[in-house]
Amino acid sequence: MVGESFAAQKRASSTHLPTTVTPAVTNVSAVRRPTTNPRNRQIHKTFNNIKITILCGFVTILVLRGTIGLGNLVTDSELDNQNLIEETNRILAEIRSGYDPTDENEQHVMSLNETYSLGPKIKSWDGDRRLWLKKHLEFSNRVNGKPRVLLVTGSPPGPCDNPIGDHYLLKAVKNKIDYCRIHGIEIVYNMAHLDKELAGYWAKLPLIRKLMLSHPEVEWIWWMDSDAWFTDMVFEIPYFKYEGYNMVIHGYPDLLFNQKSWIALNTGSFLFRNCQWSLDLLDVWAPMGPKGPIRDEAGKVLTANLKGRPAFEADDQSALIYLLISQKDRWMNKVFVENSYYLHGFWQGLVDRYEEMIEKYHPGLGDERWPFVTHFVGCKPCGSYGDYAVEKCLKSMERAFNFADNQVIELYGFRHRGLLSPKIKRTRNESITPLQYVEQYDIRHSAHKYSGSRG
Amino acid sequence: MVLERCFGQRRSRQFHRILRNGKLTLLCLVLTVVVLRGNLGAGKFGTPEQDLMEIRETFSHYRKRAEPRRVLEEVSAEEEKVSNNYAEFDINKLFVDEESEEKKDPNLEYSLGPKISDWDEQRGEWLKKNPNFPNFVQPNKPRVLLVTGSAPKPCENPVGDHYLLKAIKNKVDYCRLHGIEVFYNMALLDAEMAGFWAKLPLIRKLLLSHPEVEFLWWMDSDAMFTDMVFEIPWKRYEDRNLVMHGWNEMVYDEKNWIGLNTGSFLLRNCQWSLDMLDAWAPMGPKGKIRDEAGKILTRELKGRPVFEADDQSAMVYLLVSQRDKWAEKVYLENHYYLHGYWGILVDHYEEYIKNYHPGFGDHRWPLVTHFVGCKPCGKFGDYPVERCLKQMDRAFNFGDNQILQMYGFTHKSLASRRVKRTRNETSTPLEDKDDLGLLHPAFKAVKVSSA
Repeated sequence: MVGESFAAQKRASSTHLPTTVTPAVTNVSAVRRPTTNPRNRQIHKTFNNIKITILCGFVTILVLRGTIGLGNLVTDSELDNQNLIEETNRILAEIRSGYDPTDENEQHVMSLNETYSLGPKIKSWDGDRRLWLKKHLEFSNRVNGKPRVLLVTGSPPGPCDNPIGDHYLLKAVKNKIDYCRIHGIEIVYNMAHLDKELAGYWAKLPLIRKLMLSHPEVEWIWWMDSDAWFTDMVFEIPYFKYEGYNMVIHGYPDLLFNQKSWIALNTGSFLFRNCQWSLDLLDVWAPMGPKGPIRDEAGKVLTANLKGRPAFEADDQSALIYLLISQKDRWMNKVFVENSYYLHGFWQGLVDRYEEMIEKYHPGLGDERWPFVTHFVGCKPCGSYGDYAVEKCLKSMERAFNFADNQVIELYGFRHRGLLSPKIKRTRNESITPLQYVEQYDIRHSAHKYSGSRG
Repeated sequence: MVLERCFGQRRSRQFHRILRNGKLTLLCLVLTVVVLRGNLGAGKFGTPEQDLMEIRETFSHYRKRAEPRRVLEEVSAEEEKVSNNYAEFDINKLFVDEESEEKKDPNLEYSLGPKISDWDEQRGEWLKKNPNFPNFVQPNKPRVLLVTGSAPKPCENPVGDHYLLKAIKNKVDYCRLHGIEVFYNMALLDAEMAGFWAKLPLIRKLLLSHPEVEFLWWMDSDAMFTDMVFEIPWKRYEDRNLVMHGWNEMVYDEKNWIGLNTGSFLLRNCQWSLDMLDAWAPMGPKGKIRDEAGKILTRELKGRPVFEADDQSAMVYLLVSQRDKWAEKVYLENHYYLHGYWGILVDHYEEYIKNYHPGFGDHRWPLVTHFVGCKPCGKFGDYPVERCLKQMDRAFNFGDNQILQMYGFTHKSLASRRVKRTRNETSTPLEDKDDLGLLHPAFKAVKVSSA
């Protein structure tokens, strides 16, 4: 039909072309004839166009769908990823919550009438230990001319409330491993609650007792909190100073006896000799610890008697201070309250001065010029909330870590690119005679260079 | 109309026809190109998928640009608000690199350091001058440094750092018992040798800085000690310089890419080792070299999938292609699990406890359980997350039980974090039984010089 009308048009036009005489007539006729046809033709034309358009559109969609995909415009692999993320989060939440199918619910809490004991009373530890050491000369209580020291630290067995906490626990343990490797000290990292009653900050008591009794070859047990960091890798504890003492703890006698302040001493980093006296002290220290009504009541007593102490359950530090004040005559002659170096250094006031220290001083001093230990009291990165602003705490911890790490990697010819940078840069080129640097930079060989801690 | 006047009606109609045909042809051509591009790709002109990515990116880019402005406005409004909540803090905001990257000459061939040819002599002299730092702590016991490490930034996986912490505690425990020193590395010494290759510059640096160390023991961060009693048979290796877990047949005959494992190996501090590291390193530098090397390794080694060169495959290839030079001093150990693939071990822990005891180090009680492929620090590993993490807990507790039993405790079960007593406290602790002899083991005893 279409072809015919076209052909008709063609024929009509071909007869008209050569002449110009009768165009008007033919035009009129041409115009008049397709009153029905032009509309039909138009309709057909439109119809054709629509068909073609639809066909093209269809093909396009097919092609695109084949290559890009439709629907949410989300590809298969992304869906997989999302599923994996959800599964991971579910498992992590389970691990964090500590769900343990084998756990029986033991809710025993000691009442005020019961008395707690760390273990059966031992009365002859000094004699027993001496005998053991005589029989085991290959496990002497002195190593390389120094007393044998065991550094004890730890953290809870489950993941921290937030991942940043675990990351800083990891960095803290690396920091301790570095110091102890350089100074020939062994480390015990505890992640078990040995005694349900004495959980939290009190957990160190049964742990210290257990380690003392199992390792008679150890002369000093050095407890260190997980949030205390070594910042002087050269400084060595002057053990000779403590010949007649059994406990070394950082603090201020004035704050202790005159002001009875609850922060007069710090139990975040202290030394405990392995002897009968220490066992007795632990036995007297422990009774305020058992969680529940005992710890709560004890807390009230401590808040009433110590200056500045807020109201909360009994903690080991306040309990020790209270003990040493109230039984001063029995214990104080064997306790060395040390403040000539930072066996514990409260972080505020120290961390902002690291650049100044690097400029003016050198490692080995251990005091306010180059602090031995920087202790991040109150930051609590393993929990959800600390007593201080998170950014300040974390920045400071990172700075302390790098400040200390610089002293370790100096031997290898590196240093951090700034106290907040995890990246390192060279301080000297590689050499074909590397041993010259070992002589110069290995702390174990060059410790005599810094005479502050020696003799 | 215009055309009709220019060319006449017939021509104009022809013209229209040609135009129409032309349009159709063009349309078909475009369709063809699109289809082909979608299926085969058009080189640098990309594929439709890439187009979609770009489109998405531009839109998200607009979104991202808008958001910081909005956030900044919000922040400037409440500048005083400082958070004590750790969950809200983005740790990546913390790190600041004060100095720029070192510019390396791209034309220089990669080298771990200047060639040292007389290390044995240098070291021998140093040891003579420093008798306080002997390389043998007992007649048959060399001084060993265990080296491990992880990245300095927090793990992508929120519990990754917790498992790294448990793994290092596990290593610290074993090393304390066996008188081995530990070095935990958290620094990238050479940006070109990142990833699994990072151990090479580190090992070289430690060998040269610690001449007193006789053997360096590299151990991956995802490997754990599960036999606390087993002591490495050092005498067996007195003539060897490199000890890895593996099988001679699988490496030299089959050229199997997992014929040995570089996740836990011993390397002697000597000239041979420095030369070995120099020969091992060339496939490592990231980028084109590592990618190309990966292709070679996939082609040459049996069973190796396609990915960039890794240190383990490179070691297999090195031993196979230069067997005469190196094999004599390499010991492929398979009588105990210097490296133990976790997949075949973790389900049998209860069986081991029932039938055997610590000290074997082999299939009866594996020395090392190595969680290859689990990648707990990353977001995704090669195995399901649940299986990996739960089994890592079990392996950790399996090893930890051997430590706790010294003190009279044990985990309530291999899945539990909690511990229970195995014996009561006594008033004579020195008489308590030390079943595994770990409290005062022979390999830790220091020879007493007779006065």
